[in-house]
Amino acid sequence: MSDATTLLALFQDVDPAADAIEKLREMGLSNDQMNVVSGIPFQEEILGRPIVRTHVPRIALGGAIAGFAIAVFLIWGVPLLYPLYVGGQPMFPIPPLLVLGFELIMLGMLTSAFLGVFIDSRFPSYEPALYAPEVSDGKIALFFDCPADKQVKFKEAMKSLGAESVRMVEAQEL
Amino acid sequence: MAAMAKAMQPAHAGELEDPRENLLYDPRPRSEMNDMVMDAMQTAGWKFWVVTIVLALFVLIGLFGVWGYLILNGMGVAGVTRPIYWGAFLVDVVFWIGISHAGAFVSALLRVFKTGFHHAITRVAEFMAVFGIIQAGLSVFFHMGRVWLFYWMIPIPNERGIWPDFHSPLMWDFMAITTYMIVSTLYLILPLIPDLAMARDRSTGWRKKLYRILALGFRGTEGDWKHLRAAIKIFSFAMIPVMVSVTTVVSWDFALATRAGWSSTVFGPFFVIGAFHSGVAALVVILVLIRSTMKNMKYFIRPETLDALGKLMLIISMVWAYFYFNDYMVPWYGGDSLERLVLKFHETGPFAWMFYSMLIFNAVIPWALLWNKKIRRMPWVMFTIGLLIVVGMWFERFLIVPGTLTISTDPFTWRVYQISWVEISLTLGTLAFFALLYLIVSRFLPFISPWEVQEGQASHTIRKVGKATLPSASEID
Repeated sequence: MSDATTLLALFQDVDPAADAIEKLREMGLSNDQMNVVSGIPFQEEILGRPIVRTHVPRIALGGAIAGFAIAVFLIWGVPLLYPLYVGGQPMFPIPPLLVLGFELIMLGMLTSAFLGVFIDSRFPSYEPALYAPEVSDGKIALFFDCPADKQVKFKEAMKSLGAESVRMVEAQEL
Repeated sequence: MAAMAKAMQPAHAGELEDPRENLLYDPRPRSEMNDMVMDAMQTAGWKFWVVTIVLALFVLIGLFGVWGYLILNGMGVAGVTRPIYWGAFLVDVVFWIGISHAGAFVSALLRVFKTGFHHAITRVAEFMAVFGIIQAGLSVFFHMGRVWLFYWMIPIPNERGIWPDFHSPLMWDFMAITTYMIVSTLYLILPLIPDLAMARDRSTGWRKKLYRILALGFRGTEGDWKHLRAAIKIFSFAMIPVMVSVTTVVSWDFALATRAGWSSTVFGPFFVIGAFHSGVAALVVILVLIRSTMKNMKYFIRPETLDALGKLMLIISMVWAYFYFNDYMVPWYGGDSLERLVLKFHETGPFAWMFYSMLIFNAVIPWALLWNKKIRRMPWVMFTIGLLIVVGMWFERFLIVPGTLTISTDPFTWRVYQISWVEISLTLGTLAFFALLYLIVSRFLPFISPWEVQEGQASHTIRKVGKATLPSASEID
């Protein structure tokens, strides 16, 4: 596939896009050779695509643990470093740990979830990329690698399944 | 009045609503919807600029100018003095925290429960959360007096050789509000990314450059959506307990003090529902203003949206009254002399007019009107009810803070709080700043999330059942 090019097929609706993905698979393309870009999210099952793994929940969990550790340090570690006796209250109390622990678990979890999106999606990314601005108008863009000598065959297959346009594309500035 | 009287008439029995009254059953092509949102951002008449300039001047002089005067002259120019050390600034802190918390809470709750009417209002609510917490933060700084020492609250090593005492409720408050300020901002940004990508694709010139940077390279690939949706889901679930916890921690600033009128076990949930009451009312006020003044917004913000929020307001009003009565009943029955004095001061003292206005605005008016569907669908009636609730909730906070501090264990210190012009100016200044932020942002960022609206519309269809056409929904996300 060294002489492969990338084709873009644009669809108005979900059903023909799902059919087109299935057809491409029948024509010998693997899931890795296709990419779907859409203006709204679709479950992978709707388009018959493999499940995309996301690390966001795991990254969020890591953040939650880090947040709790910071809370333990603030509530129990600070009195160790700087003892301050107030009104006979215990130096290492549990209720304030629960309060601050909860807040910092949430802070750690949510900031990590936010950063997780950046890590998983590789944001920010201002490099040229495969894109079709029509997707923000509701179109579904199907990018796929195509052997140069089979372009006509692939284009006809996509058009017969309802693609509004099929064209060769290269990475472009967003 | 004639319209109100007409609205009180019952609807015909068996009358079926047209599902297309609902935004989700009245789809338009995505490109048209995008154009409507972009057009709303780029169209502003001379009235908009006049209001913006007036508000900006007021913020400059009435907020930052007067704050400078306060810093130069010290807290003596505010109305606070013994025994009322917490005055209007603290009222504003609690008030704005309530407004802010309800913004994120409403957005998160509606997303979690997939209410159907949330698609058009979550963004406005999320802006309310961020703009509200900015005002709350400013109000804390007003109250600080020596504001230049604010960094003493931050746990960094310093020349004093001690760190803040994290066993103190005031430090929990600082940490909780900081947490909320950060996460509510992140919660606003995440669902905004696809809309910024849409704006990038439809802009030219400096706007294109701005949106290109802000959209972070979002394209809408399967991975982009998956990671974004995972994070939004985590935020939606987490924002609810975060809001409840932060409001509760704010209530503990009062409840953990051994002070008549404050030392109450019910203060946590009472503050939570109070925040919700003022916040939903403020959201209705803002939605009606946006719907009436911004281009194309009538398509997105519909009477059915206000109807749904009106039902929510009615229920919240009842729950608020329930907690208020709890907070009243226990000290009244307990018979503690100081507690009784606080209650009597509220009911018959110089702030009694606030006490009764609060009950009328927060409970009587909502109960009298919001049971009626036609009233709930009248934007300007909803605007008025919302505004009254917002005012009523400010009165409630006023009675809790300076209105309660009057009665202390030392009768020789009792004094009626006199709000100063500095406090009035700064209070109005935060209100003007809040409105100004909405006006400025309305030129750059979409108040409606077209991708969420279209996602909702894609999962809602109208089907024919017998002779009737009925709405039908399925989940695609």
